[in-house]
Amino acid sequence: MEFIVVTNNPLVKEKYENELNVDYADISFRDVLCKVRDMIHKGHRLLTHPLSGSVKPHETPYKSILVSKQATQMDLGEVSIIENSIITADKFAEKFPNMPQSVKEDFQLIDCTLITSGIDAVLRR
Amino acid sequence: MKLELGNIIINDIQFTNEGSKVENGVLYVNQEEIKELVLEDSNIDTCEVFIARPGESVRITPVKDVIEPRVKVEGPGGMFPGWIAKVDTVGSGKTNVLKGAAVVTTGKIVGFQEGIIDMSGPGADYTPFSKTYNLVVKMEPVEGLKQHEHEYALRIAGFKVACFLGALGKNLTPDEVETFEFDNLVESARKYPELPRVAYVQMLQSQGLLHDTYVYGVDAKRTLTTIINPLETMDGAIVSGNCVSSCDKNPTYVHQNNRVIRELFKAHGKTLNFMGMIITNENVYLADKERSSNWSAKLAEYLGCDGVIISQEGFGNPDTDLIMNTKKIEAKGIKTVIITDEYAGRDGKSQSLADADASANAVVTGGNANQVIVLPPMETVYGHLHFVDTIAGGSANNIDAHGNITVEIQAITGATNETGFHNLSAR
Repeated sequence: MEFIVVTNNPLVKEKYENELNVDYADISFRDVLCKVRDMIHKGHRLLTHPLSGSVKPHETPYKSILVSKQATQMDLGEVSIIENSIITADKFAEKFPNMPQSVKEDFQLIDCTLITSGIDAVLRR
Repeated sequence: MKLELGNIIINDIQFTNEGSKVENGVLYVNQEEIKELVLEDSNIDTCEVFIARPGESVRITPVKDVIEPRVKVEGPGGMFPGWIAKVDTVGSGKTNVLKGAAVVTTGKIVGFQEGIIDMSGPGADYTPFSKTYNLVVKMEPVEGLKQHEHEYALRIAGFKVACFLGALGKNLTPDEVETFEFDNLVESARKYPELPRVAYVQMLQSQGLLHDTYVYGVDAKRTLTTIINPLETMDGAIVSGNCVSSCDKNPTYVHQNNRVIRELFKAHGKTLNFMGMIITNENVYLADKERSSNWSAKLAEYLGCDGVIISQEGFGNPDTDLIMNTKKIEAKGIKTVIITDEYAGRDGKSQSLADADASANAVVTGGNANQVIVLPPMETVYGHLHFVDTIAGGSANNIDAHGNITVEIQAITGATNETGFHNLSAR
């Protein structure tokens, strides 16, 4: 299945932009969720869960989500998942406005690893 | 299948300059022996060993894993199959346990890694591992080691130390022996035809780096939902590679001592018929979630269950797996009870889970992970305190001038465990 990596993670952009369709923007975690929500409303399919592992929203500034390239019909189950994820994200206040670069890089790596496991699952590798 | 767990009760840990040994309930540890073992791995640069006893003014952070020292005395297999022992099936014969002792591994993997164990003070009430005699193994990697290899090195080192200590109890007579027997499906059904048939569905965290669980050495994210004998789990078949979300991750110790399994054994033949255990994963790819939960439901039906208990690991993304499992199993006409924890906001007023369904109508909570606690300073810190600023549940500048740390209990190892391993809940 052809898909798009929607992300605000520069490491994901760097790693995959030559290989995959990467939609990168320097936006907030929440804005990534909203962008994906809008895509799902237009009929793109949600392929990976919008909440990361057990790293809490706003603990990490980075988020990558896979959605189908093709827009067909809106899936209500997926709308519910993305809407609930935005509600969940809003429960967590932003904690680290001045996060050190080293910690940012660690969060980039975690997000990149999580989305890689999603990419590998779609590509069956 | 029959498993005997021989508990050698440990009442203290002390350092010795002679060979490590267990004598009269005291675990004597030669630090050099531990360091030598750990430093066999060329990826580990330094190793320090400490003792943390219940009641001491000691804080351990960031906690990577907690492991119970054990040894196989009789029967096939060995400890941590697929990692230390070969992959022979475990869960039968005799295993000796240094009951009351634990290996706690600590060291920086990433800048925000987490997990606090306070051995005294108010924080101690929120972690089960303030009650164990802990051998703390702090390890630092060689320069430039990648996070994946680093996690692996620390994980294996913890198992090696636990096996080394466990082996000290191999020739001792246990203080108590617990015997667990588990019949095959046909035999179970025949023995207690009048009792409700109940299985346990354990969800294993399996999303990627710092979020992994292994079954006989296999990464759980690459498995299909399957059936495992609960005795295999009790004998070390499942281990943790999960470093994130300390309050509701299952350290290896929790897998070795899974409370849901123990409670089901207690009730087996009395109030219910314990039919078996299903293990399923928590992957990031939605199709994996669909497939795995389909299989949970299919296997619960295959086991002829009237009811199942489902335990979750972690929060957020796995809430979706939890609800999918619940909906699909309930749709088969099988009743479910789910064990989870809550992120209900600091005031406890927000929705607890990131997903919900009307069929999830029997829920046991492990507590609200957003609950705030103030941890007073401890005299000694083993590990790296500066991570407390950037752990889950911490926030910028959360240490005051007196050294008090204000955190949510999600920062504390095991605080809201979702297998009933600790004492928080609600009625």
